[in-house]
Amino acid sequence: MKFGKKLRRQMEDTLPQWRDKFLSYKDLKKLVSLISATQPPCSKAEAHFIHFLDAEIDKFNTFFVEMEEEFIIHQKELQERIKRVAEIYGVGGSQPLEEKYEAEMRKIRMEIVNFHGEMVLLVNYSSINYTGLAKILKKYDKRTGGLLRSPFIEKVLKQPFFTTDLISRLVKECENTMETLFPAVLDQYQTGEGGERTLIMAEQVFRNTVSALVTMKELRKGSSTYGHFSLPPLSLSLPDLDLLQSCMLPSPITIV
Amino acid sequence: MHKWKEMETRLALPAVKVTVEQQLCKSGNSGVISSSLPELPVIVEERFPELPDSQLIPMDEMRNLLVSPYSPYVSNTGNAQNLHSSPSGFSSVFHHPPIVPHERHGNTNNTAINAGNSLSTYSCKGAFQASIDNFSKDSAEVAWSLDSVQGILNSDDDIPGSNPIQSSSVMITDDLNKKKEWWTNIENEDWKEILNDTTIVESQSKVVYPAAQTSPNVSILHSQIYQSIPCHSGDLIAVTSPLSTTTVAAKPRMRWTPELHECFVNAVDQLGGGEKATPKGVLKLMKVEGLTIYHVKSHLQKYRTARYRPDSSEGMSEKKATQSEEIPPLDPKKGIDLTEALRLQMEVQKRLHEQLEIQRNLQLRIEEQGKYLQVMFEQQCKSTMNKFNTPSTAEEPSSVSSDPIDMAAKTDTSINSKGAESSKQTATKRKMPELDPSNPSNADAIIGCRFFSLTLRWWQVLGKPFQEVV
Repeated sequence: MKFGKKLRRQMEDTLPQWRDKFLSYKDLKKLVSLISATQPPCSKAEAHFIHFLDAEIDKFNTFFVEMEEEFIIHQKELQERIKRVAEIYGVGGSQPLEEKYEAEMRKIRMEIVNFHGEMVLLVNYSSINYTGLAKILKKYDKRTGGLLRSPFIEKVLKQPFFTTDLISRLVKECENTMETLFPAVLDQYQTGEGGERTLIMAEQVFRNTVSALVTMKELRKGSSTYGHFSLPPLSLSLPDLDLLQSCMLPSPITIV
Repeated sequence: MHKWKEMETRLALPAVKVTVEQQLCKSGNSGVISSSLPELPVIVEERFPELPDSQLIPMDEMRNLLVSPYSPYVSNTGNAQNLHSSPSGFSSVFHHPPIVPHERHGNTNNTAINAGNSLSTYSCKGAFQASIDNFSKDSAEVAWSLDSVQGILNSDDDIPGSNPIQSSSVMITDDLNKKKEWWTNIENEDWKEILNDTTIVESQSKVVYPAAQTSPNVSILHSQIYQSIPCHSGDLIAVTSPLSTTTVAAKPRMRWTPELHECFVNAVDQLGGGEKATPKGVLKLMKVEGLTIYHVKSHLQKYRTARYRPDSSEGMSEKKATQSEEIPPLDPKKGIDLTEALRLQMEVQKRLHEQLEIQRNLQLRIEEQGKYLQVMFEQQCKSTMNKFNTPSTAEEPSSVSSDPIDMAAKTDTSINSKGAESSKQTATKRKMPELDPSNPSNADAIIGCRFFSLTLRWWQVLGKPFQEVV
């Protein structure tokens, strides 16, 4: 599958409010064709191309930074909530009430998992846009004989949307929080008896995540233009991935 | 005129900005400032919407503005090198009033001043210098048709009553009324206070990308003691728009960090909570250099949304403590299934994240190696050239040509010759013509270089099996 299609599929699967924030790969491709068709690399055309790319990058940056900000806020809020719930309803709290505690914790857990998922999807967003940019630049250089790719990519690497360290950090913190939140009793149920498992796919997030993984896997498969700047194939043993995919129901069941 | 058009090309900005740049250009300057004026943006419009926007500032004024002793935007070429590649767009994160009473004409003046402001707080004035360099270098290249630029501008939505390009050819008009209006507007603005509070330090390292990590001070915030803890935030980053040309970025953009956010939360708590706190108050309490009221405002808004939605649902469920809550107590089996599902979801997400991180590191490495090889290649070529420019003995050519082999051999084989892309070969070819093949020693140099490029190609071919190693 070509990148354009993969990108499109990702965009369809993604959270609706993100749909227009991705790279306009198709348009850029058209532009490249246009540029290469007319004449040998003209600096005016190149400037236009660069301008387009800059606009896209700006779009990514704005979106990314804004989402990042929201995640920071949200994460803090979750932490506060956990503390509060524990203080009030937890053991030794001001109104210890196990049922209430459990209920609240369940809510929080769900939120955290979705929150985690959203963050990971943002990282994925960053990655896929970067890939698209790299590809289109490669195309440009190939078709116009230009030398745009290297210096441009260098700058892209420094852009906020690509510097995902903070988000990764938040993700890890989230995972740690999850560790503490999940009741230890669950380990008993983790045996291989998957037969009766009810896979309740509640959220778009989950579907998106799976979709993202699949896309990544396919993107990394060898292609005709596999070259020196290409990534190696995704070595990911995910038999579950196919199972998950097949289990993904068209209309997700919401967890009440 | 020609330059005027170039200006437009380089900066497909809303009409307001274009206006300024054109004017600057017209005044016959090298358009020095223009490429650094990107984000003047909508700030101008937000603040002074009532002012018409087809005024000019004579170039001289602009210069005076910039070298005003009041604000430190004297161009400092110190950092020029570092920032050469940095965008000439700065977020107008830092609004500092110019307070340089020259002739001011309406909107444009503000634009110019804000530009100056942006420049000042974008402490790397080297960027300013760099953008000058950028501009003068590129100006020769770009010639754009008026139509296409018009098209771009027209598609830009966020300009109320945008100025068509044509009208911007209005010459400077003296308008004292506008000047006064503008002046009072400045006086009324909050940010004047802010300026008085904050000090602009020239050595701010804020602009560094990515965010410098926390200052130790902020970790103190963990203690529940609400003092006015100064948030020395090295985290405040001016998010700049990318690359050489500027793009539209309507709002001042800033990158928040968890530490900065904690500082924010503390300030808010001190002021009595999310509802009661005002942006101005929070800003004052936080005492973060370069933070503006706009940032605080938008952040506060987000904060409120995030906080008060879950809170209300919690509050409600607290009230109906005796009734069954929103989530009816599940029987244990369902509860466990639910948790299981969550766990599964979490696992998948973790996996994706892992892979993304790996992928990202790979991509970074690939680019690094590519750069490295290119540098090596260029150095090799250079030394080859040099050797042949000096009287050479018969032995030298062979030693030179054997060098590339050694060098290539030493190259990390696991890299799979990422650097050997076509651009290098092109670069080689481009260098070739400089040598005169008729000269025997030059011929050797050519052979040397050619050999080297062949070697690289060899690695290219050979490198494929190594790709799996990565």
